[in-house]
Amino acid sequence: MQEQILIQSKIEKGDFTRGGEVSSSLKDILRKLGVPSDTSRRVTIVTYELEMNIIIHSLGGEITVLISSEQIKVIAEDQGPGIPDVEQAFQPGYSTADDFVRGMGFGAGMGLNNVKHFSDQLTVETGQGKKSKFIASVYF
Amino acid sequence: MKKHSVLLKEELCEGCTNCVKNCPTKAIRVHNGKAMIRDELCIDCAECIRICAYHAKHSQTAEIADVSSYKYPIALVPPSFYGQFKGLNPARVRVALYELGFKEVIDVSLAAEALSRKTSEFLASNPGIYISSSCPVVVRLIKILYPELTGHLIPFKAPTDAMGEKARKDAIAKGVAPEDIGVFLLTPCPGKNTNIFDPVGIENSPIDKTIAVTQAYQAVLAALEKTQDVAEEDLPVPYLGLGWGQSGGEVQLLHEQVQDYSLSVSGIHRVRALLNELSRNNIKGVRYFELSACEFGCVGGVFNVVNPFQARSDLRRLRAKGKAMIEQNEGYDFDLPGKFEPLQIGRLDGDLERAMEKLTQLEEEIAVLPGLDCAACGAPDCKTLAEDIVTGVASRTDCIFLLRKQMGDLAETLSALLYELPPVMKKEKTDGKVG
Repeated sequence: MQEQILIQSKIEKGDFTRGGEVSSSLKDILRKLGVPSDTSRRVTIVTYELEMNIIIHSLGGEITVLISSEQIKVIAEDQGPGIPDVEQAFQPGYSTADDFVRGMGFGAGMGLNNVKHFSDQLTVETGQGKKSKFIASVYF
Repeated sequence: MKKHSVLLKEELCEGCTNCVKNCPTKAIRVHNGKAMIRDELCIDCAECIRICAYHAKHSQTAEIADVSSYKYPIALVPPSFYGQFKGLNPARVRVALYELGFKEVIDVSLAAEALSRKTSEFLASNPGIYISSSCPVVVRLIKILYPELTGHLIPFKAPTDAMGEKARKDAIAKGVAPEDIGVFLLTPCPGKNTNIFDPVGIENSPIDKTIAVTQAYQAVLAALEKTQDVAEEDLPVPYLGLGWGQSGGEVQLLHEQVQDYSLSVSGIHRVRALLNELSRNNIKGVRYFELSACEFGCVGGVFNVVNPFQARSDLRRLRAKGKAMIEQNEGYDFDLPGKFEPLQIGRLDGDLERAMEKLTQLEEEIAVLPGLDCAACGAPDCKTLAEDIVTGVASRTDCIFLLRKQMGDLAETLSALLYELPPVMKKEKTDGKVG
């Protein structure tokens, strides 16, 4: 099966009220497609974390989820401001979230770590002052 | 084969769609003016029974009269049952049950206490997040809507099942013939009744029949009139286990260290909200979840007679009498023979590629429908109607707005056609003058 778009959604900076909507709809779609429950769980978690990453840290962006016979690919693109030190950002517990965000229970520094943990392949294009692009794949 | 216990009395159903909209698994559709239940999706949460103003949704169990059809009837009394008698001494209630013909009256609370000990031990030696599997409705909900979380269900039998097995085994050991034994559960909910023909986690249910609290209540009151009070020493009460009758009671009996990392949530819609968060890994610092489909836990069961607020308060006072759990020669077998398996329900197609095609169709249908979620089509919302259209069980004209638009379009076409009449007729209309 050729790669097809499952879901594509714009995400606003700081839009906590809609946080988790993309991953919720996605979970529902994956169930309708009969995707194995373990794969579905991993894709849902990866999507949720990337969704929240855009809301908390970026100037806004977009999530696209693609499906093919081999894998489900989650692409998260944002408008910056970019991650200066990628390795550090993936350290468990590392967070740049402010008190407001932490006060809501987010920003514990596990987000990107979870993305890495639950995906089979992950590529990140970013840098200080640049737009960021995450491509996380979960294989069937 | 029967799959669920909640049923529809068609003659009472007005087709109002209140139950349709309140069903957590979207299992109900109004067809031909009647709210029909889709067997494979019903988890017996009884929300439809609660919400129906016409009492069209109901559930049937055995009655007290059926007790005499067994030579050796055993009553299993769940903790919530004692919330029905204004805080009356549980031993006294048990005497009344003997009066009704039961040869044995056994507190499920005993098994609940034993399971609490076992759960604490299990959590101490098994890392990870676990969900209580004691509420069968929650187990069914997870199997259907959260298949990815089935691995988190703690692999133990519910106290009612473990108690039923033990009661049967003990009776046989005493020399009672197996065919004479009838194990009855005084059930607060239809969910436990379903366990008889569709048990969760085990092959065969040790319980033969359930009697709804509504069916037993008056008989028990009458038997209380006829019997004498009893000294508590003669019939010890597992007071702490009685806490299981309401939400929070299970966690309260776990080891203190585990309690600090446990959470109790009750009410099917709130349980769903929690499972949504859990499925995206968004609950941190909790190792054990006590989930009950009914608000307030088992005292909120739809078969109870006394309102859940009263029952909760009375049960809390009874529990406070407990000092320690009743240590018993355990003899329970809580371990499941296998694992909880997820159910694949709600797939658009068995083949991924065809399912993708249907998903595209589904999006097209959703775009056409008005998005008002009025439920006049008999489905709970527009998205579900779209799904029904794609899977071939509904049509676009089931939507009154689309039907109205089609009629409008048709009327426009008709009126346009009026001006397309043959010349001979046009002549008549112009009153004899040729224009």
